[in-house]
Amino acid sequence: MASLVLENVTIDFPIYGSQKTFRHALFEKTTGGFIRREGNKNQRVTVRALENISLTLSHGDRLGMIGHNGAGKSTLLRVCAGVYEPTYGKVSINGKVSPLFSTSPGLDGDDTGYENIQTCGMFLGMTPEEIARKTPEIEQFSELGDYLSLPVRTYSTGMLVRLGFGIATSIDPEILLLDEGLGAGDARFAERANKRVDALVARASILVLASHSDALIKTMCNKAILLQGGLIVASGSVDDVIKEYQQINKSVA
Amino acid sequence: MQPQYGPALVDMIEGTLSWRMWGRLGWLDIKRRYRRTMIGPFWTTLSLGIFILTLGIMWAHLWKQDPKMYLPFLCSGFLVWVMVSTTLIEGCAVFFSAEGLIKQLRFPYSMLVWSVVWRNVIVFFHNLIIFLLVGLYAGVPVNAATLLVFPGLVLLILNSLWMVVVLGLVCSRFRDIQQVMSSILQLAMFVTPIFWTADQLGKRFISFIEYNFLFHVVDIVRSPLLGKSPALWSWLYVGGVTLVGWIVAVVIFSRFRRRISYWI
Repeated sequence: MASLVLENVTIDFPIYGSQKTFRHALFEKTTGGFIRREGNKNQRVTVRALENISLTLSHGDRLGMIGHNGAGKSTLLRVCAGVYEPTYGKVSINGKVSPLFSTSPGLDGDDTGYENIQTCGMFLGMTPEEIARKTPEIEQFSELGDYLSLPVRTYSTGMLVRLGFGIATSIDPEILLLDEGLGAGDARFAERANKRVDALVARASILVLASHSDALIKTMCNKAILLQGGLIVASGSVDDVIKEYQQINKSVA
Repeated sequence: MQPQYGPALVDMIEGTLSWRMWGRLGWLDIKRRYRRTMIGPFWTTLSLGIFILTLGIMWAHLWKQDPKMYLPFLCSGFLVWVMVSTTLIEGCAVFFSAEGLIKQLRFPYSMLVWSVVWRNVIVFFHNLIIFLLVGLYAGVPVNAATLLVFPGLVLLILNSLWMVVVLGLVCSRFRDIQQVMSSILQLAMFVTPIFWTADQLGKRFISFIEYNFLFHVVDIVRSPLLGKSPALWSWLYVGGVTLVGWIVAVVIFSRFRRRISYWI
C-alpha cells in the first residue's frame, strides 16, 4: 500500500552568487520564505522555504495544498517527489511517485512525436512494454495522426500541449503529484482533458495537488493544508482550510 | 554534512542498471546534434580525419619521421585524447545541464554520468574509422596485443566515470571549474605525448611523463591499437588511479549527492 510520510521537514535553500547589496535588499523585504544568514561570518545566505512540515498520507488520500505564490507549495511537492532531500527532518516515500509538474520531462523539439513518447514515458517511469501498450491510447487522445512522425518543433502550441498531456496522463501512478492541475488547450480539448485527468487521479492511490484555485481543490481533494511562508498554518477538511484561506485573503485586502 | 553511503551506492547501482535510459539519452544526444545533416556524426569524423592527416603529414616531414610510423601514432593517440578530454569537459556540466530533469523527477543521478560517457564512447567508435583507414595505409600490425584494446577501453571508461562524478559535483557548486578544466586540458594536450613520442623528450623530462596520468590512460588504448603491448607500469598506474579515484568519487558522491538539486 502506498504511503507518504513527512516528519518535521525543513528545507533551506542556499543562495549563491548574490551580491552584498542584493543581500541587504533581500533582508529588508521578505516575500515567500524567511531569509537568513549562516556560517562563520554570516556569509552564507539561505532561504527557509519550508519549516517543520509534517504530513501523513495513505491510500485514498487526496491532499490539496493551497497558499499564495512563494508559500512553499512547489517546494513541498518536490520534497514529496524526492527531488529535494530535507535539510532537517525525514521523508518516507512508499510507492512509485509520479510528479507531473510540467507535462513532458525530457521533451526535445528535434525529436519526433513517437521518439518523445518514448523518452518522456521513460522519464515518467514507464517500462518499454508499458510505453508500447500506451502508445495507441496516446495517439488517439492527441489526435496528431501522422504528425507523430514529424519533429515536435513543427507542432503548433496546441498540438504540443495535446501530446505532452496525452503522455503525462497515460501513466499509472501510485502517488500522483500535480502542480496547478495540468494546463489544457482549447475548450473542446479542455473537456476531454478534464476527463482524462479525472481518470488519472482515480487510478492513483494518493494525490497531492498544489493550487491557487479553491474550486479545483474542492472538486479533487478530500483533505487540505494551507501553507504560508513555508509553514502549515491550517490543515483539515477542504472546506475549513479554504475558509481560513479566504479569511487571510480578506485580512490582507 | 554527513556522508550517506547507502543511498549513494544505490544511486550508482540503479544508475548503471538503467542502461536503457542512458543508452537512449546518449544516442539521442548524438542524433540531435546532427539532425538534418547528410552524414551525421561522421562530420566530426571527417573534420578530425582531415586534421589528423594534414598535421600528421606535415609534422612527419618537419620532424623527419616516417609517415607510416608517425600517422598511426598520432591518429590513435589523438582519437583517444579527444574522447577523454570531451568526456571531462562535458562531464563538468553533467548535472547542471540536466536541471530541468533533476528538479522534477527523482532518478539515479549516476544515470546522467553514464549517458555522457556512453555518448563519447559512441563518438569514439565513429572516429575509429579514421584509424582503420590510416592503419590500412600504414600496415599497422594486428596481433595478440591488439586484443588488449578491450581491457584498455574498460579501464578508460571506469576512469571516465569516476572523473565525471567528481567533476560534475564540483562544477555544480563552483561553475568556474569548467573553464579551468578546459584550459588545463588544452595545455595538457601539448605536454602529453600525443603529437610527439615519449622517446623524443629525452632523459631529463622523462619522470614528467612517468607520472602523467593522462599519458598512461591514453597509452593503454593507443598501444594496443598500434599492435603493441602497453608498459606494465601503465597498467599498474592506471589501475591504481582507478581504485583511488573510485574511492574518492564514492566518498564525495555520498556526501554531496543530495545537495545537487539545491546547487543547480
